[in-house]
Amino acid sequence: MLTTLPAPFQEQPSTGAQQRSRWRIALLTAVGAVAAISMIPFVYLLVRASDKPIDEIVQLLFRQKTLEVLATTASLVICVVAINLVLGVAIASGLHFVQVPFRRLLVIPAVLPLAIPSYVFTYTWVALIPSFSGFAAAVFILSISTIPYIILATLAGLRSIDGSQIEVARSLGLNPRQTFSRVVFPQIRGHVSAGALLAGLYTMSDFGAVSLLNVETLTVSIQNMYRASYDRSAAAVISFVLIAFSILFVLADESIKGKSTQSQLIKSLSVKTSPIQKGYLRFVTVAVITAFATVAVILPFYVLLTRFFSNPVPIDWASLASATISTVSVAAFGAIIALVLSAPLGLLLSGGSSRFATVTNKIVVIAHALPGVVVGLALVSIGSKLGPLYQTTFLLAFAYAILFLAKSVTSMSSSLARVPNSVKDVAATLGMNQWAVVKKVIAPIAAPGIGIGTILVFLTAMKELPATLMLRPTGFETLATQIWSFGSINRFNEAAPYALILVLVAAIPTFLISRPDKDTHSYELESTGGQK
Amino acid sequence: MNALEVSNLRVLLSGKIVLDDLSLSLAPGQIAALLGPSGCGKTTLLRSIAGLIRPSEGQIRFGKQLVSFSSVHLPPHKRKIGYVPQEGALFPHLNIADNISFGIDTAVFTKDQIRQTTKEMLALTGMEGFGKRMPHQLSGGQQTRVALARALAIKPSIVLLDEPFSALDAELRTELRTDVITLLRSQNTTAILVTHDREEGLVSADVIALMRDGKIVQSGTPEDVYSSPISPTIAISTGDALVLQASKLSDGSTDYILNPVKSSAQSVASGHIVIRPEEIKLNKSVTSGSIHGLITKIDYYGHDAMVAIDIADQHLQVRIPGPFDFNVGQSVALEHVGPVRFFANN
Repeated sequence: MLTTLPAPFQEQPSTGAQQRSRWRIALLTAVGAVAAISMIPFVYLLVRASDKPIDEIVQLLFRQKTLEVLATTASLVICVVAINLVLGVAIASGLHFVQVPFRRLLVIPAVLPLAIPSYVFTYTWVALIPSFSGFAAAVFILSISTIPYIILATLAGLRSIDGSQIEVARSLGLNPRQTFSRVVFPQIRGHVSAGALLAGLYTMSDFGAVSLLNVETLTVSIQNMYRASYDRSAAAVISFVLIAFSILFVLADESIKGKSTQSQLIKSLSVKTSPIQKGYLRFVTVAVITAFATVAVILPFYVLLTRFFSNPVPIDWASLASATISTVSVAAFGAIIALVLSAPLGLLLSGGSSRFATVTNKIVVIAHALPGVVVGLALVSIGSKLGPLYQTTFLLAFAYAILFLAKSVTSMSSSLARVPNSVKDVAATLGMNQWAVVKKVIAPIAAPGIGIGTILVFLTAMKELPATLMLRPTGFETLATQIWSFGSINRFNEAAPYALILVLVAAIPTFLISRPDKDTHSYELESTGGQK
Repeated sequence: MNALEVSNLRVLLSGKIVLDDLSLSLAPGQIAALLGPSGCGKTTLLRSIAGLIRPSEGQIRFGKQLVSFSSVHLPPHKRKIGYVPQEGALFPHLNIADNISFGIDTAVFTKDQIRQTTKEMLALTGMEGFGKRMPHQLSGGQQTRVALARALAIKPSIVLLDEPFSALDAELRTELRTDVITLLRSQNTTAILVTHDREEGLVSADVIALMRDGKIVQSGTPEDVYSSPISPTIAISTGDALVLQASKLSDGSTDYILNPVKSSAQSVASGHIVIRPEEIKLNKSVTSGSIHGLITKIDYYGHDAMVAIDIADQHLQVRIPGPFDFNVGQSVALEHVGPVRFFANN
């Protein structure tokens, strides 16, 4: 976009062209730097893994234990994604198509679990059922943690379908079920797949819930190797298995998305399908959403509140306050770094497709799929060699930025692309120079979307656990590390205040991002964005 | 037996009355145009006929079949209606051939038959060779053609067209409209065309139904509704009209500015007279007895022109065929040649 400024920007063609190419070189350099930064974890892992002789690597990869862990991880991901697909698409369709009371309010329980980290979910459920543990429990916890991604992505897809298509399909002799499978689903497939990708990556890279529930996945294995023996090379080798897994996911998602053609027809979105009035469907929709809200929102909140108020140990208000401040400030720091890093790539991506931009974006997306454990590992090792940077909050914030850069880039490029070229042209004809156009036209239009991306990074960083545990300076406690430090369930009472504050603080940006009280299209951004 | 019979239909949308006591009937093969301002309920009527909305009162029949009456509500997919909404609403994920064959029942027809029908529909709508294209690769007019082909492919009992040409430019619009109407007539299809273009309605339909505030206020042949409007406001909805002060006299004559009655007859009713602008003839030779006015403006359209004339304190619009020989500032004689449509004030 800024790289393809319309002619009226250039008063003198020659200097204009010079300016433009200088601008482009600067942009490409910046994007190159961002790509390099995103590559840090990969390079580190490669160097580490190459420490080990090849036969040892093969042995490590194919020993019984690795294969077991791999099988556990795979089946966990498959179960969670399958449950998500069925339940998430059903809930979203119910919310979209069925006439239910308080329709907009019912979106809230579908969104709110985003504010609750998986380890807090686990704590509350273990508090309710002391024997809560094992594979099935992990499937349950990770499903309720990740269903919001599918619901929001599906809702975004459903909202993009012109209602008159559904009416035409009905008039052409299709009953509601056939209409869904032949008209609606093919068009939301890409959205659903994006949501499933997020849910799958979340599950794969989750550390808190699985380790509390004694389910050994790849992420837990890596963390254990790192902690127990300081065998970082082995941890690096296993990390590559995880990366391969993530890449597989991203590729699967791309092939699904590639098949679904996005419509560029003249659309009259004014046609809204009249909501389904059928009594039993209304009942089922309300019942399913109520059941989901109960297990994913009401019960966890109930447990946190009762533990908070019935806490026999006096609350350490000072440490609660300092942990809150630390959490908010380091997460905000990370979000700002991500914002700055995403600007050049966002600009390049929004200006049309260039090979360089696409490749860099892929790197950023795969870095996004890396578990916190892996990025933590990489930055710990590099940081310890850098000396002054080691054990600083900067390094932690930097890790957040690398982990969640994809969220920021996606909203940045889509918001910038949303500024119509004609508007920029008109501004130019009205006598504005390049800077004035950026300041008065582009920024105001794109700012809300960019803001949402930044808030998303902030929200996710607040909940992040494994990288925080590895990279925080000694003595630096965030809400997440405090919750974790009370480790065993017997001391959950002491962890409860931290968990409650974390959930409440995270609920604010969650609400801001999705605005369930408003019937807007902001879900689109949500569907492109939130992992962990 | 009428192909479509709508009687006393009443439709509520979120508590608001959108259609009220509406009746309409169409003989097989007839094409009706629904004409009216936006928001008067045209689309709602189409959607009720298609079964996409459930009326709260009244009934709808397709021939002998009762499709909507109190608790009876045949769902839309069992009505065999060809529905063409505004801007076509092609399925963006399917190519043109798959769009057209979308509604053909695979349980009834073989693959070959479906392919054959699709081919016929492509030919019928002048879209041969486009089967493999995707909807976004077509122009607006082509999309409308495909939407119509898709609707006709299921051999519908009735075709409903909701402003299908509104997104097109004037030239393409006329061409496509002619093609579509010819096609519908050749298939002997009963159809309803919603439009807010007065000329489009008059030119296309056998029956014009004029809608206002959820009711059909007048219906009839295009000639009927154009030449015998039931009120001055209705007259305006089928074409330009002059509404002038007038009074009815006891001897049966009507006194208005173009026909000043000199007799001593008493006025029995005062009201308005409706004159179409083409019903006034202009003459350059002004005699002492003639009614004359001053040309203040000429809007030239090529095939005709609209001439603004000041006569006494009134402004008249007169349509004259081109070529002509009048100028602004010229004094002309006026003569009303046409029916005297008097509407008394109530």
